Amino acid sequence: MKGKIEVRSQNTEFRRERAAKPPLSFILNCDFWILYSAFMKLIAEIDGEKRELEIKRDAYSVVAQLNGRHYEIEARDIRQGIFLLIVNGHAYECRLNQADTKRKSLEVSVGTHAYNVALTDPKRLRTAQQPGAHSDGTTAQIVAPMPGKVVRVLVEQGAQVEAGANLVVVEAMKMQNEMKSPKAGIVTSINVKAGATVNGGDVLVVVE
Amino acid sequence: MFRKILIANRGEIAVRIIRACRDLDISPVAVYSEADTDSLHVRLADEAYLIGPAPSIESYLRIEKIINAARACGAEAIHPGYGFLAENADFAQAVLDARLTFIGPSPEAMRLMGAKTSARRVATEAGVTVVPGTTEPLESLDEARRVAAQIGYPVMLKASAGGGGKGMRFVATEEELPSAFDTAQSEAAAAFGNPEVYLEKAVERPRHIEIQIFADQHGNFVHLGERECSIQRRHQKVIEECPSPINDAALRASMGEAAIKAARAVNYVGAGTVEFLVSDRTREFFFLEMNTRLQVEHPVTELVTGFDLVREQISVALGEPLSFRQEDVSWHGHAIECRVYAEDPDSNFLPSPGRIMHLRSPSGPCVRDDSGVEAGAEVSIYYDPMISKLAAWGRTRNEAIDRLSRALDEYMVGGIKTTLPFFREIVRDAEFTNGNLDTGFISRFFERRAEAALRMKSEETDEAETTRRDMAAIAAALDYMQAQKQNSTGNQTHAQEEQQSNWRLTGRAALHRRIYE
Repeated sequence: MKGKIEVRSQNTEFRRERAAKPPLSFILNCDFWILYSAFMKLIAEIDGEKRELEIKRDAYSVVAQLNGRHYEIEARDIRQGIFLLIVNGHAYECRLNQADTKRKSLEVSVGTHAYNVALTDPKRLRTAQQPGAHSDGTTAQIVAPMPGKVVRVLVEQGAQVEAGANLVVVEAMKMQNEMKSPKAGIVTSINVKAGATVNGGDVLVVVE
Repeated sequence: MFRKILIANRGEIAVRIIRACRDLDISPVAVYSEADTDSLHVRLADEAYLIGPAPSIESYLRIEKIINAARACGAEAIHPGYGFLAENADFAQAVLDARLTFIGPSPEAMRLMGAKTSARRVATEAGVTVVPGTTEPLESLDEARRVAAQIGYPVMLKASAGGGGKGMRFVATEEELPSAFDTAQSEAAAAFGNPEVYLEKAVERPRHIEIQIFADQHGNFVHLGERECSIQRRHQKVIEECPSPINDAALRASMGEAAIKAARAVNYVGAGTVEFLVSDRTREFFFLEMNTRLQVEHPVTELVTGFDLVREQISVALGEPLSFRQEDVSWHGHAIECRVYAEDPDSNFLPSPGRIMHLRSPSGPCVRDDSGVEAGAEVSIYYDPMISKLAAWGRTRNEAIDRLSRALDEYMVGGIKTTLPFFREIVRDAEFTNGNLDTGFISRFFERRAEAALRMKSEETDEAETTRRDMAAIAAALDYMQAQKQNSTGNQTHAQEEQQSNWRLTGRAALHRRIYE
């Protein structure tokens, strides 16, 4: 009964909001409720572990199916990015954060536990390949781990380097970090100069 | 009493000093850089003056700008906090030359104790034992080689003007010396404007224990006991406690006496800290250095002794005698503090700058959170990434740990990585709860942790964990569904979106990229 009253009060707010808006969005808002009465299918990757998720939301009530596990949940939007999910008397406060723009996943904290969650909507386009740092055995990219300033470049293009050799010194938050080569090889490109400001994810040096 | 004090600092320590000013009915004045315009210390102060662009070298380290601000607003005294200009004798002198009161010791005392090499000399002359090493800055790499060979590896390279682990390098072998020497020098130059480094023998399995001392202008010296700061990463303290788990009254008394000897030798005035390395085995202690300022970790001493160190600093600066004598000092219970940094403990404590989207600060019995931020604050790349200090008090060390664990679990910081998850594990670690501390604690802790993780992997994930992971996926899905709804409602939601939190602008964007690309 209590839930119903709250639902109504939310609807009243909705109506008030809608009254001030153009007719087109009025119709679209109505569409929303019809659209979401059906299950949505998503693929969720949690710390690299894939789950198939079917989910339906109707106001505070959420029904979800994950790898055969069935949940009936009372869901509350506490604030932007914070959900309170109550399942069988257990309360889970879930907080969403952008984990890393480069990796395109969300960090979701459940209580004091944190997980990286990446969602894929099979109805939408495929996910793009991940950019950023990689070493595929032949090429190693040395990537700035965070925004900062290049203090020194210790190698020259064409130089032969050993694995573990210092290549670049990057300063951030007053700490100088020596960026080392993950492999032995030849420095094929240097993209920065001493004094340059770099962003997290920028490729500094390539060793082949 | 002073009417107005200018605080030449930022972040949590500026907030801490503002609080002491309020207690004493003194009007606090803030200074800030362009990056700190809307920060907490500015908003809590009565007046605030812009002193330059974000880099500290152009703002918080600009002596003349700070003094001009103090003059312009009619402040009578300047409190330097810690870091920045707090141990800069030229700054202290400039403050005095401007006929203002510097809340700290004399420039002479700072000069003597500030350069670690002269501090070692002063301590030796005062009869306090020091760690073997050079007392003069190293002239060259060759000299470093020679001295290191003389005292034997492993050795520590340290910045003469240093502190906070900057410009400090552990050198295990001669091969490591050249690159460590270069890095230590350039780090020292960047952080303190002085590239001088010196060298000393690295004591193995040492405990880092420091004594808080207080002196007034009338020659009274009192020590407030020790703080153990053995838990360090990159030679920077992360957990501090008072008293040390050793909790030996005789050791405390003799270390306190040694600390006072060193401080008396430079006619010290105000709050100061004398750092010692204590051998875990023999309980011998060696003078390391003296910090001529308020320490980051002063709250644990306050919780256990009941004194307000900042308040006392202010009254000592006014010329009043200390409000307590040595026999008035007693240590009640146990307090432990964690420094909450915007760093990713899983990526070798890499700084994690960014905007704090959610923030829930812990509270409740015997918990103290000295924070410099609120939700929405930006942790910038320009300054130290510490966002708060969380301390808990208990009648016993175990009770303090219970409360600290509870407070750590309650603490939520969203949007950036913090050291909170790391602390949650440490306070439950058996070595920690048993008080087996030394400066190698963290590296051993990480080894234990890696082993534990391997064991965990082989076991089945339990039901609670599965449900938590499912809930994480469901929360992400609910958010995605909301994003869909907002996309389908068009322009009108875009206007709303702009007003909503930045979390949406960044987090949502990332999610969308993944889904649409």
